[in-house]
Amino acid sequence: MALTTEVDDAARETELEELGGSKAARKPYWLVRAISIVLILALWEVVGRQVSPLFMSYPSAIARAAVQLTASGELWGAFLSSMETLTLGFLLATIAGVLLGLLIGRYRYVDAATDWLVNALYSTPLVAITPLVVLWFGLGFSAKLFIVFILAIFPVLINTASGVRNVPSQLIDVGNAFAASEREIFAKVILPASLPYMMTGIRLGIGRAIIGMVVAEFFTAINGLGALIIKYGNQFETAAMFVPILCLMLMGVVYTAIAIRFEHWVAPWRHTEDE
Amino acid sequence: MKQIDVATTASVPNRAGEAPRLSVSNVCKAFRIRKGASQPAALLQVLKSISFEVYNNEIVSLIGESGCGKTTLLRIIQGLIHHDSGTLLVEGQPVTGPGRDRGFVFQQPSLLPWRTAQENVEFGLELQRMSATDRAARARKLLQLVGLGDAAEQFPHQLSGGMQQRVGLARALAIEPALLLMDEPFSALDAQTREVLQKELLRIQAETHKTIVFVTHDLDEALYLSDRIIVLGARPGGVKEIIEVPFGSNRPELPLLRGDPRFQALRSRIWELISNRPTL
Ligand SMILES: Nc1ncnc2c1ncn2[C@@H]1O[C@H](COP(=O)(O)OP(=O)(O)O)[C@@H](O)[C@H]1O
Ligand SMILES: [Mg+2]
Repeated sequence: MALTTEVDDAARETELEELGGSKAARKPYWLVRAISIVLILALWEVVGRQVSPLFMSYPSAIARAAVQLTASGELWGAFLSSMETLTLGFLLATIAGVLLGLLIGRYRYVDAATDWLVNALYSTPLVAITPLVVLWFGLGFSAKLFIVFILAIFPVLINTASGVRNVPSQLIDVGNAFAASEREIFAKVILPASLPYMMTGIRLGIGRAIIGMVVAEFFTAINGLGALIIKYGNQFETAAMFVPILCLMLMGVVYTAIAIRFEHWVAPWRHTEDE
Repeated sequence: MKQIDVATTASVPNRAGEAPRLSVSNVCKAFRIRKGASQPAALLQVLKSISFEVYNNEIVSLIGESGCGKTTLLRIIQGLIHHDSGTLLVEGQPVTGPGRDRGFVFQQPSLLPWRTAQENVEFGLELQRMSATDRAARARKLLQLVGLGDAAEQFPHQLSGGMQQRVGLARALAIEPALLLMDEPFSALDAQTREVLQKELLRIQAETHKTIVFVTHDLDEALYLSDRIIVLGARPGGVKEIIEVPFGSNRPELPLLRGDPRFQALRSRIWELISNRPTL
């Protein structure tokens, strides 16, 4: 989230400069943010030390555990395993979601045939089927892959379809007026016009993919960051348990930031239009 | 953009013997409309037996009240809507659908927001499968023609409304259409920008010798720009009268033209035609 605000600040500043505003208008938001981070960490450190290490940990203890887990190679192994599941599952979900979304958004019959199913599945908290998936696929890689896939595909699919449906009819008219074929209209108008929606779907899909990955790893509990959390949770090593949790947080932040950057890059007009 | 200079004949009203660029005869159009979901469809007769011709190098305006069917007629000429009956010929060929022998400038600029000004102008050329270098060269030339030589790399959201309309005009001109169709292209602009663009359009027409059908509901605009004005009546829209505009090809700017007694006479004549209900 921090990254979004920074981008917005930057946009506002260029606007001001263009209008002849001075740099003095720049507010020290970053300073406030830095102070807030330091204060919260300090508070956590102080309060955390008062509580039994069984129930809670604190930054310095977590840092020590992180060093240990990194040195032993355990964290890195779990991280790689998780990344493998996440990246592959998410990639497959994105490809399938975009393709299906394009079809559903463009062809009313495909939409009519599938919308009830899509809506039903999207509304179901699909992590609920994890035990079933484990029954189907066993405790291995494919079960985790499937759960990541099934959780991430719907936001991508639904947003892509609504992107295709929301292409302004004026722009389709331009294609028609210039005697473009259906294929050319699809490639030169509909696809680029719905790209920003796809990116939004992809960004929302990432969050769900990470949730799916962790839940699947809880269940299979063989490897990955989720398994690491279960392991140290069961051993009551709370500080060590926090390390993979923070790792997951970092993954979410980084992935989302990349997705947001990509959204801006893909559709720069969308972020200046409404100012 | 090689074309025979026929500017000298522009003000000659008698075009007998010359083949028209556009020939519209007895075109009718009705829309099927439903007031409510349960009600049966009713027919809304929008255009009734429209006939007129447009000759080489002319600017012809279609004028009429809002809702009288101007956009519908223009879209029929472009081939975006089918007409119910009658004939439409562009350079002698019947209109069966959209074609790149006609260029269209929309009421809203309708630029593709992910393309730069230049890439927008290249849109029709891409569809014609022109090579990238030729496309770029042509687009640059046209942007220069519409006064946007410096804005080629700008995206639509970085351009003002007037500049966007200029890009729209360049995009339509790029495919070198036999006929340029413009649907109230300046109506969404502020008065000052509108006057500038009206003047620019006359300059561009003088340079390119395009044949233009221009839809407007603005009397002054029609009188300033046109060689002829086709006045459409209210629903169903039929041709009420076709008015020859006598100011020639080297007309003074609009504020000066307004002082011309002929301008005032024609203006009140058209105003009467538009505002009077048909006496049946
Ligand atoms: N696709 C359509 N379906 C039904 N009615 C339409 C459609 N397009 C236009 N109309 C109706 O036809 C009439 C003429 O519209 P239009 O050609 O846009 O008028 P103008 O451009 O002169 O303002 C209006 O009453 C409008 O409501
Ligand atoms: Mg209209």
